[in-house]
Amino acid sequence: MRLRVNGRDHDVACPDHVTLLDALRDELHLTGTKLVCDRGECGACTVLLDGQPVYSCLTLAAACEGQAITTIEGIGAPGSHHAVQSAFARHDAAQCGFCTPGQVLAAVALLRQIPAPTDAEIVAAMSGNLCRCGTYPRILDAIRGAAAELRAAGAGA
Amino acid sequence: MKRRKGAAPTRPSRFVRTLVEIEGREETRVVEIPDFEPAPWKADAALTIVGRATPRFDAVEKSTGRARYTADVQLPGMLHAAIVRSHQPHGCITAVDVDAARAVPGVVDVLTGADLPAGMSVGGRKMFDRTVEYAGQPVAAVCAASAEAARRGAAAVRLTIEAAGFAVTFADATAPGAPRVRAGGNVAPHAPFIQERGNMARGLRQADVTISREYRTPVALHSALEPHGAVAEWTDDRLTVWESTQGIFRTREQLGAALRLPLNRVRVICEHMGGGFGAKNGMGTHTLVAALFARRSGRPVRCLNDREAEQTDAGNRNATVQRVTLAAKRDGRLTAILVEADVPLGVGGWESGPAKIYHELYRCPNVRTAETFGYINAAAMSAFRAPGHAEGAFGLERAMDTLAGALDMDPLALRMKNLAARDQEKGRPYSGGSRLAECYRDGAKRFGWTRARRANSATATTGARRGVGMAAQIWGTGGGPPAYALVRLNADGTADVLTGTQDLGTGSRTILAQVAAEALGARLADVQVILGDTERTPYTGNSWGSMTTPSVSPAVRMAAEDARRQLLEAAAGMMGVSPDRLEARGGTIRVKGKGRGRNARAMSFAAVAEQLGDVMIIGRGSRGPNAPHAAVVTVGAQFAEVEVDPGTGVVRVLRIVAVHDAGRVINPLLAGSQLQGGILQGLGYALFEERVMDRRLGVPLNPTLHDYKVPTMADAPSIDARCLDGSDSTANHVGARGLAEPPIIPTAPAIANAVANALGVEVDEIPLTPWRVLAALARRVGTDS
Repeated sequence: MRLRVNGRDHDVACPDHVTLLDALRDELHLTGTKLVCDRGECGACTVLLDGQPVYSCLTLAAACEGQAITTIEGIGAPGSHHAVQSAFARHDAAQCGFCTPGQVLAAVALLRQIPAPTDAEIVAAMSGNLCRCGTYPRILDAIRGAAAELRAAGAGA
Repeated sequence: MKRRKGAAPTRPSRFVRTLVEIEGREETRVVEIPDFEPAPWKADAALTIVGRATPRFDAVEKSTGRARYTADVQLPGMLHAAIVRSHQPHGCITAVDVDAARAVPGVVDVLTGADLPAGMSVGGRKMFDRTVEYAGQPVAAVCAASAEAARRGAAAVRLTIEAAGFAVTFADATAPGAPRVRAGGNVAPHAPFIQERGNMARGLRQADVTISREYRTPVALHSALEPHGAVAEWTDDRLTVWESTQGIFRTREQLGAALRLPLNRVRVICEHMGGGFGAKNGMGTHTLVAALFARRSGRPVRCLNDREAEQTDAGNRNATVQRVTLAAKRDGRLTAILVEADVPLGVGGWESGPAKIYHELYRCPNVRTAETFGYINAAAMSAFRAPGHAEGAFGLERAMDTLAGALDMDPLALRMKNLAARDQEKGRPYSGGSRLAECYRDGAKRFGWTRARRANSATATTGARRGVGMAAQIWGTGGGPPAYALVRLNADGTADVLTGTQDLGTGSRTILAQVAAEALGARLADVQVILGDTERTPYTGNSWGSMTTPSVSPAVRMAAEDARRQLLEAAAGMMGVSPDRLEARGGTIRVKGKGRGRNARAMSFAAVAEQLGDVMIIGRGSRGPNAPHAAVVTVGAQFAEVEVDPGTGVVRVLRIVAVHDAGRVINPLLAGSQLQGGILQGLGYALFEERVMDRRLGVPLNPTLHDYKVPTMADAPSIDARCLDGSDSTANHVGARGLAEPPIIPTAPAIANAVANALGVEVDEIPLTPWRVLAALARRVGTDS
């Protein structure tokens, strides 16, 4: 099958029942996407499919042909991080960091959809992403900060 | 001075014995007295990097997904292993049929107990034992070309188990005629374990008011998002293991012993770690499985727990039942504290009971605790963030509120009345004085305690009800030796700090760089910390017992001071002044004072290093012994406001205020994160988290993140958490104590006290799931009618 990941096409040889998560990690070696529960309970494997956040552990790789897949490796660029990534660092929104790629992708998707979210909208969008270290207050701060930064940049452009 | 040739200089041995406290347990160990110890940084020391809210060094690595965890290690030719587990809670394996497993496409190898070297054990239990004592016990393993093939292979192994009787609750295991749950018996020898001071009969006699209640706490699961796991690779007779661990050196030691390898042929690496919380303190079955398969196949092997294994057999906080009696004078002074506790540990683990906090938190001359440790057919407990104290605080602090009610006193006033000025167990003063009263006062002020108490007692009787509660904590956080560090100055003036600790997500990598930069006089950006690798770094112990900061930061400071002394000596020669006239700051060496020409004669670290060429300055530091006559503790108080829906029983925590005293805070941003994290884990413990066992089948019913509910962002209250300013120069010369475990201790009782306050009911059990809240309300209605 052919998967379009972070703007590049990859020919992947794996059976039809393989999840997008396993294809990304084991075939394409994109290990930023994390395997935690493998059954859609925690959000650590979140990636974007045509801009929409999905649990890659509940998504079959074969079903993603023809769609744009964005993983954490496709957010920002070395030396030029996405506003959400910088805000996570600035606000200390990662402790162990294992959930962080999924959190960042969920936040990026939210801010694309709702550039000025209310706290309630942030909480609703982020509640599918567990963090066992308890960084939620920091994540909330980071998303507020990133939203303001992105709006300011947009207004200036 | 003349010395006879060949005669050793006589001086006292630098190797002495000292007391070290780990998670509430004290051990005597040999320690090395350092050659010199820097003078303590006092509270008013002019520090510019230590104390600054610096973002963590690996924050960008983590937010870009580049941080590599054990689960992400992929090596060429790597195979995957899966562990076969018993579904029976008790019995004897009479047959292990692996034929079907070997026939699964991709499977390359199978290991059963018969294939292991004699006597191979993990955590004191024989590996792949034929005797099964809990559901989830590892009994075999399968190795395959892919993780999926390994899983299929593991599922194809057929076990024949001759079932035996079992018990998965303390009551069932200690009932008359109970089945023998394990070879060692159902109750620990020497039961009950009694600790006592004063005279209980007198304490009870002196009291004006006495209350007795029974409190229950659940089995809680660590639920770290990165599971336990290892990747093992052999190069001839050398083994390299990537392990998600809180102790690289302990893992190495255990691997060396299990595989009979010299320690210099075992390398353990943990670069990043996806959460531990006490459950990842050494080698596990998965580690040996990976190492053995890797040796047999000649290829690297990865073995990770799947989520069900992680929630079933990766450690847990044991449950408790605490029967508490508190006795006090009319003015609130405690005269007696009495506790009997039932503590089911699982099939093993260590005797972690709730008693200690009853001896520590309040001044009371007469205290008696009796703990009965029992065994059940469930996975062994392990340390979980403040083991014992988190459980004990629930009982003690609920009882204190009940006592306050009986005395018609404000709960905060009752606690203020019973401040412990010194460590009553050993009669020692606290190293930093006791600043708990300050925590109470500051917390109460920030929370608006007095007003909130008044407002909530007047809450209407219909609709959602609000309540407030508070609780306190105390936890030994002194750390101790041994811990070592090296500081190397590179040829461009940058510095590497090498120390054998690990960063669990606590931020040790960052705060140790801050300490090194401060002591060396370097720019923070020029310092990197190398940790998490036994082959590159000198020994440092496990990151447990809130020990890393108070144990490792003094060693790092000493190494950096040693390097600075040498650097100044080198610079002095180049600058033509004596070394004691020089100072290092911000990566520049200058003549001290404000005299003319001070800047003209300055040299950057880079300039000095350039002249030194390949001569390398290496500073060495070690953690000295603890002050013998002081108790080192972190204390704190937390306040909670909740809203309870009496119709549904749903509890919502609205806000938490937390004030702790941990001595010097090296990085307020990271310390704040750690406080918030402990509070949120405590909130889960208070409201949602409990492992549910099926009494008839003997298996856990909720080994998933769906059915074992940890807090989400929607559950997070507003949190105002801070530490008092200050420094504890008795604890160590950096002045910092530990902070990781303390914030979880008072959270659950503060929330439970708030729920009790909101509803006017007794709350005697956590987690406060809706049905428990409704049951508590129904009991009150029953009493009223």
